[in-house]
Amino acid sequence: MVVPVRERALSYAILTAMAVLVLIPVLAGSLTAFKPQIIWISSPPVWFFEPTLENFEFVLITRQNWLHLRNSLIISIGSVVIALVLGVPAAYGFARFRFRGSKGLMQWLISLRMIPPIVVGLPFYAMFLFLERATGLGLRDTHFGLILTYQTFLLPLVIWMMRGYFVELPAAMEESAMVEGYTRIGALRRVVLPVVWPGIVATALLNFIFAWNEFFLALILAGNNTSTLPMAAGTYVVRARVEWGNLFAVNLIIMMPVIVLTIFLRQQLVKGLTFGILE
Amino acid sequence: MKPDVATQPGGQSLSRRVYSLTQRHRHWFFIGPALLILLTVVIYPIVFSTGVSLFRVTFASTSRPFVGLQNFERMLGNDDFLQSAYNTLYYVVFSVSGSFLLGFGAALLIRRISRGRNILRLVLIIPITMAPIVVGLMWNWMLDPLFGLINWFLGLLGIPGQTLLAQASTARLMVVLVDIWQWYPLVFLIIEAGMATLPRAPYESARLEGVSSWMIFRRITLPLLRPVILVALLLRTVDAFRTFDIVRVMTDGGPALTTETLSLYLYRTAFTFNKLSRAAAGSILMLLVIGLISAMMFRFLYKDIEVG
Amino acid sequence: MKVVLKELVKDFKSTDTVAVNRINLEIDQGELAVLLGPSGCGKTTTLRMIAGLEQPDSGRIYIAERDITDLAPKDRRVAMVFQNFSMYPTMNVYDNIAFPLHAIKMDRKEIDRTVREVARLVNIDQLLERGLRQVSGGEAQRVALARAMVRRPEVFLMDEPLSNLDAKLRVQLRTEIKRLHQDTGTTFIFVTHDQEEAMTLGDKIIVMNRGDIQQVGTPHEVFFTPRNAFVANFVGTPSMNMLPGSLRIEESGRLFVVLPGFELELPRRFAAGLRMMTSHHVIWGIRPEAIKLVPAIGDNCVPGLVELVEALGSRDLMFVRVHDQLFGVIVDALDSVPVGETCSLHFDGAHMHLFDADSELSLLLDEKANGA
Repeated sequence: MVVPVRERALSYAILTAMAVLVLIPVLAGSLTAFKPQIIWISSPPVWFFEPTLENFEFVLITRQNWLHLRNSLIISIGSVVIALVLGVPAAYGFARFRFRGSKGLMQWLISLRMIPPIVVGLPFYAMFLFLERATGLGLRDTHFGLILTYQTFLLPLVIWMMRGYFVELPAAMEESAMVEGYTRIGALRRVVLPVVWPGIVATALLNFIFAWNEFFLALILAGNNTSTLPMAAGTYVVRARVEWGNLFAVNLIIMMPVIVLTIFLRQQLVKGLTFGILE
Repeated sequence: MKPDVATQPGGQSLSRRVYSLTQRHRHWFFIGPALLILLTVVIYPIVFSTGVSLFRVTFASTSRPFVGLQNFERMLGNDDFLQSAYNTLYYVVFSVSGSFLLGFGAALLIRRISRGRNILRLVLIIPITMAPIVVGLMWNWMLDPLFGLINWFLGLLGIPGQTLLAQASTARLMVVLVDIWQWYPLVFLIIEAGMATLPRAPYESARLEGVSSWMIFRRITLPLLRPVILVALLLRTVDAFRTFDIVRVMTDGGPALTTETLSLYLYRTAFTFNKLSRAAAGSILMLLVIGLISAMMFRFLYKDIEVG
Repeated sequence: MKVVLKELVKDFKSTDTVAVNRINLEIDQGELAVLLGPSGCGKTTTLRMIAGLEQPDSGRIYIAERDITDLAPKDRRVAMVFQNFSMYPTMNVYDNIAFPLHAIKMDRKEIDRTVREVARLVNIDQLLERGLRQVSGGEAQRVALARAMVRRPEVFLMDEPLSNLDAKLRVQLRTEIKRLHQDTGTTFIFVTHDQEEAMTLGDKIIVMNRGDIQQVGTPHEVFFTPRNAFVANFVGTPSMNMLPGSLRIEESGRLFVVLPGFELELPRRFAAGLRMMTSHHVIWGIRPEAIKLVPAIGDNCVPGLVELVEALGSRDLMFVRVHDQLFGVIVDALDSVPVGETCSLHFDGAHMHLFDADSELSLLLDEKANGA
């Protein structure tokens, strides 16, 4: 398309302004994480200083936020693994078999995206509590309890995204293997999985981001043993203590893996964010 | 041909009948486990919540009298609930429209440039990938009346430090602006992905026929983008409707409930004031409203695209 | 091996496959049978039921007297080549061909020997190390053929294997499949919608439509003695000229067909079939190749106006308007009449076809053609 020079210049100007508005708070904030404590709150801000890692050391070791980091990793990875183990076969089932109600079920899965977390979080808290009182079986403040709860938003997403990858493959691929002497499971393992592997990785990483950033359900259901990084960040709200450097150290620990993953996942991002409705 | 025993149902061996049966129901083998978990983690809680909302249940007491729809009545007659419902509506209207206009605009603009497109896109994606709570904390710092960058800028312009988040007149707007800052890139990303799939032929023929740019946009681009636009609006609406994280860390509902959202209010009702049943009733009401809104948008959507 | 389908039924309720209505079919050992029909006729569903990829709702399938209806695909000793799939993308040509052999736990040396032998048979022994991206569409389809052959199946099933290839390659591979069939002496069942492909390949052609078998016969039989109007219309390009008409019998016993605007005398061989008629309405037909251009008007001749001529190479396809009806006529290119001129067409009774207008069955009481 031919675009007039003036129009193009204006487009560049506006988009650059948008990008700057995105970058300023992110970069300036992140910078604070590397500032020594004395200049955290200096105004006007100090732009040039000797960067230090002492804030990270303080939050991770002294404040013991490494425990939150550990919890976040366990819960995010665990819930993604469970979502994949259950969701990938389901996605295959939806992609390959037409049965009564299959279309309705897929639409129902999309509608799960609309449910406000309070609607599931509240009864989950009560259910865990009552369950513990009744049977002594404690899911409260366990990693598994949160992993289970996270399936409400991870599992439908895995199914929708993976279904898209399976639909793109010809069914004849595994059928061919089945005629050639393999069971359906054998054909899936030897022929289909090697092909959709990149899709599974992309789905896993995207779902990891969603689990990693989750705050609300963790706030309701996590306790001392399971509190996650976003919850740790939440504790820095307390205004009386202006620990900006520490706060941004935690923020950066939350942001870094996600930003790295995003650079690799740009293509899949839209698919994940829109539930793959747009294909 | 002579009658064959195998054609009689009784002549089939057990293993063959089992094979035939598993063939017919093989989809449940794949879908069943996931469905079972979803029923446990989604349907059961909702049913549970509905049940709780009909009784008076607290975390402390063991007596649970049946109270019918009383919890719903109390909720709907509660000023704080209505205030938070009004705030939520405010968020939905302004955050959705603001992020949509900005995102759509950015998508239109980026189609007009070629060099640097990828890097600009990558930068604009950053806010989406950040945890909302991180975004909220970051803007707390930006808006801090003493040390924040915003007030420093304002100070350079000779404007004295503002407590933008502590004033009832500005707090709600600030929270909405931060929400827009985080989510207009999502609209941008969706619309831009939709634009990339538009067919070229209608544009080329329209241009050759001398149709004006505005007419091309109205008569070709907008209709073709309809499903994409609907998806963007749908996602933004349901997300704005349940806003929690950002408000929780920026204002925690204050000052004087001016930024309280439904999610926040229900959270407080259940966990601060220990009124489990009333919160359950409120969450069921919330579910009904969001269900209604998304059902309406879905109906528009399914006219355009085939799902499942 | 001999393949027998008995009362085979596949409903389409709750699935998106095409239905098959209670079909019976026998394919003899070593035969190359072609299932021919338009899309949605049930030919692919039938083939997939033989492969075990679809479960029939009722009926049985036998291969060499063995009831395989409830066996898993892997246990049926059949091989299948697909239309939209040729090579496993994550394996090279060698591993593709070896893949079915790994399933039966053959030892490595034996696998190596077999793979190389089969690759030579289909002329891809130079490509063994290549991946999917490094082979052409035709070569990829040869890999599929090799993979099918490598286990020495009792029956080869081919689901439009040539449809995604370009025209020249299609003809070339068609010949090779025919040769493969002759060399192996195995039973082949080949599905296609392309009637030219069916004619050149098949020992036996099974014409299907809407889930029913319309006719079973040799290529000559389905072409020259179609059992019903559907087969007559579907087989042959350009297709048969067909018109609705009615019968008139003179007291002398002479038989005429009354067509829109003109009337033709029918040969005596149709007389016997009249007993099957429920009314005097018929569908009359003649192939474009059977219509002759004659210099003067005589018996069974009508004048017409040439409206369009398509060159087919050595021959021309003329479209001639006769009393508001457009006839396709194939003539030697040297005898062609220019557009806008008149000519006279002769309809030879020996080449005419007549079908009951209600049942659409042929009125020729040829036992062979009607016996299916």
